[in-house]
Amino acid sequence: MPNPLISLLVAAAITLLAVWLFRPERGLFWRWQQARQLNGRTLREDALKHIHQCEIHNRLPSVNSLAGALGINNNTAVEYLANLEEHQLLEFSGENFHLTPTGRDYALQIIRAHRLWERYLADATGFDEAEWHGQADLYEHQLSPADLNNLSMRLGNPTHDPHGDPIPTASGEIVYQERIPLAGIGVDKPARIVHIEDEPEAVYAQLVAEGLHVGMIVRVLESSSHRIRFWCGGDEHTLAPLIAANVSLEPLPEELQEQDQPGERLTNLAPGEAGQVIGIMPRIRGAERRRLMDLGILPGTIIHNEMNSPSGDPTAYRVRGALIALRAMQAEQIRVARVHESEELASDVFTGN
Amino acid sequence: MNTQTPSPEDILNTAQSLRWEVGSDFHEHLMESMYTDAARIADRAVTRPDEKPRFDLDRTIDRLVTSRAFGFPLMLALLTLVFWLTIAGANVPSRWLSWLLLDTLQPILKGFGATIGLPWWINGLLFDGMYLATAWVISVMLPPMAIFFPLFTLLEDYGYLPRVAFNLDNMFRKVGAHGKQALSMTMGFGCNAAGVVATRVIDSPRERLIAIITNNFALCNGRWPTQILIATLFIGGLVPAQLAGLLSAMSVVVIAVLGVLFSFLVSWSLSRTVLRGEVSTFSLELPPYRPPRIWQTIYTSVIDRTLIVLWRAVTFALPAGAIIWLSANITFGGVSIAEYLINFLNPAGLLLGLNGVILVAYIVAIPANEIVIPTVLMLTVLVTGTSSMGAGAGVMFETQSKVEMITLLHAGGWTLLTAINLMLFSLLHNPCSTTIYTIYKETRSLKWTLISTLLPVVMGFVVTFFVAQVWRLVAGIL
Repeated sequence: MPNPLISLLVAAAITLLAVWLFRPERGLFWRWQQARQLNGRTLREDALKHIHQCEIHNRLPSVNSLAGALGINNNTAVEYLANLEEHQLLEFSGENFHLTPTGRDYALQIIRAHRLWERYLADATGFDEAEWHGQADLYEHQLSPADLNNLSMRLGNPTHDPHGDPIPTASGEIVYQERIPLAGIGVDKPARIVHIEDEPEAVYAQLVAEGLHVGMIVRVLESSSHRIRFWCGGDEHTLAPLIAANVSLEPLPEELQEQDQPGERLTNLAPGEAGQVIGIMPRIRGAERRRLMDLGILPGTIIHNEMNSPSGDPTAYRVRGALIALRAMQAEQIRVARVHESEELASDVFTGN
Repeated sequence: MNTQTPSPEDILNTAQSLRWEVGSDFHEHLMESMYTDAARIADRAVTRPDEKPRFDLDRTIDRLVTSRAFGFPLMLALLTLVFWLTIAGANVPSRWLSWLLLDTLQPILKGFGATIGLPWWINGLLFDGMYLATAWVISVMLPPMAIFFPLFTLLEDYGYLPRVAFNLDNMFRKVGAHGKQALSMTMGFGCNAAGVVATRVIDSPRERLIAIITNNFALCNGRWPTQILIATLFIGGLVPAQLAGLLSAMSVVVIAVLGVLFSFLVSWSLSRTVLRGEVSTFSLELPPYRPPRIWQTIYTSVIDRTLIVLWRAVTFALPAGAIIWLSANITFGGVSIAEYLINFLNPAGLLLGLNGVILVAYIVAIPANEIVIPTVLMLTVLVTGTSSMGAGAGVMFETQSKVEMITLLHAGGWTLLTAINLMLFSLLHNPCSTTIYTIYKETRSLKWTLISTLLPVVMGFVVTFFVAQVWRLVAGIL
């Protein structure tokens, strides 16, 4: 039998090696896989995307900006530009360059892949929203046009990605709507979030942490050059203008006016209290949203907090005569207007209890 | 061009441009307003006879069974009662069945085979191999399942089990699982295949997969006898006779609790790695209490759970019995296949603090955990050449005499470490083939079936390996 000390050491060495190779995300194996995916095609497509972004925002793309965006040095950037021109995706006019119609179509297909994939991650998977962008950056280079059309059909041909950006159609058509930045909306005018920029990452993470989502209703309380204070989703938020610049809105459409009431989160109700549902916040998506609606949690439904579990979470709510347990992370995404005891008493008098 | 009727292209173009105006959450809003309208119409049209929403009795029971003070003690008491009824109640019928099928019927069948002139090897294959393995599985498995499942179903039917899930959900939420996993896990203590089927109550895809993959960490009915026997023989023997029962019972409980801890650990890591992107939708309905329909419950639980699981076990035990018998009886150069395998696996087994016999027993006993110990005993006799025991090559047996058994195992080179590691490996190894097949039927995915099969056995290798090395290191120093 081998010496136990030696076999322990060998096992420890094997474990260390395995960790070094396969540690999630940082392991050598995953890095090697990533590096393999970051091949010429990926960089070329990323270059097209960058130039297209510049054109949309009316900025002039340059070798420097391209090198910065792709994380490569200027020489390599020049090589890629030459390569793109060779494929007739790019045209030079003196110092400057711009996309040819073919190049623009190509760029739009990459954008379509990116945004559709984000939509897919949001609607049909359980990935955290902070992960959407990074994953879409990988998958946008791997999906063929046929894949994209299938995916689009499966998702019901969505028009916008979860951040509110329009998804180009298969024929490359795209329409950007008018948006008002959060700083530009008047005080006390109801508006709806239509776009949240997902870059830079740190800013986006802060907006996610605030619980802001496309589709939420906003009412600005105070707007100055130092800060913007507003109501959204039953809470008061305060953002620095730099952060707020990444949130855009549209005036509240007619049909959603009735959702514009202050309300509070379902989790605010104590056992024995009741509230009337105003709506489920947009953070709850896809299958989870349908499940809540299946259970009868719809605008107008009265929900009673019946009891807490011994550890405080989940809580059992009485919804349309059934007793349903919801976790706090779900219940806080349901907005209710408190129903006062006197009203309940009144209804009890009528029913003779 | 006709301006009165628009061409299809015009309609498509208009639709294209309208599409952008309508926006992306159009479907959601449409669906939500349809739901809402339907609910409003129903509210207006349907009158409920009794507006009093819930019976006061229901509410009182709920307050009691989910209260901070009584919730957990009540739950533990009820589950202990169910387990006690199962173990105590199954003892007698199990012994009776084993007397009938193993001690009485088997010799008669074999004698009958001999009288009608079957060649010895067909007789052995049929009655020592296939019949014996199947009879063994039935006599060990049937009585506890026929008691445990109806009791469990009664609790479910009464409405108590959802309250257990409600009480325990917070613990399971922290590891990324669903409170109802407590139910499928408890069911797994009866039978893992039934536990996997029981995960159907979990409607969230991710949590259901977690519950399926980790169900094997609930020590099933086929493994309890192994644990109890080894604990009694080796661990109970460490202390004076009056403490032996207590210590061996405690060591089995430690293994079962270890299993629960492993299932939490694995749930936690699964939900953070391979299952990260799966959809999760939590909801838990707490149905009103109602008097259980006893006869219907017994009927459905016997038919749905007991018989189906038993039938699957039998279909897997038949070929396993044949393989066990053949491997012990087909010889090359005077050495049987089983012995070749045992010698081949012995170094690996010893490194893990087990031995070749145990590894071979776990390979041939994949169909049913119940036959691990009988196979181990048979193979040990085969290897050590102890002819005073057993009924010949390939014939599984168990003996009532503890002294006989421990003498045989010591002759086979067993130590306290072997016993402890066998208990650990019995907890951490691949699910039985019935469970594997059930997992495949429930998930319809080769990937998840493979993961749930290989993950526990790899963990078993790792755990027994480290225990063995540390044990030897400490023993070397002392």
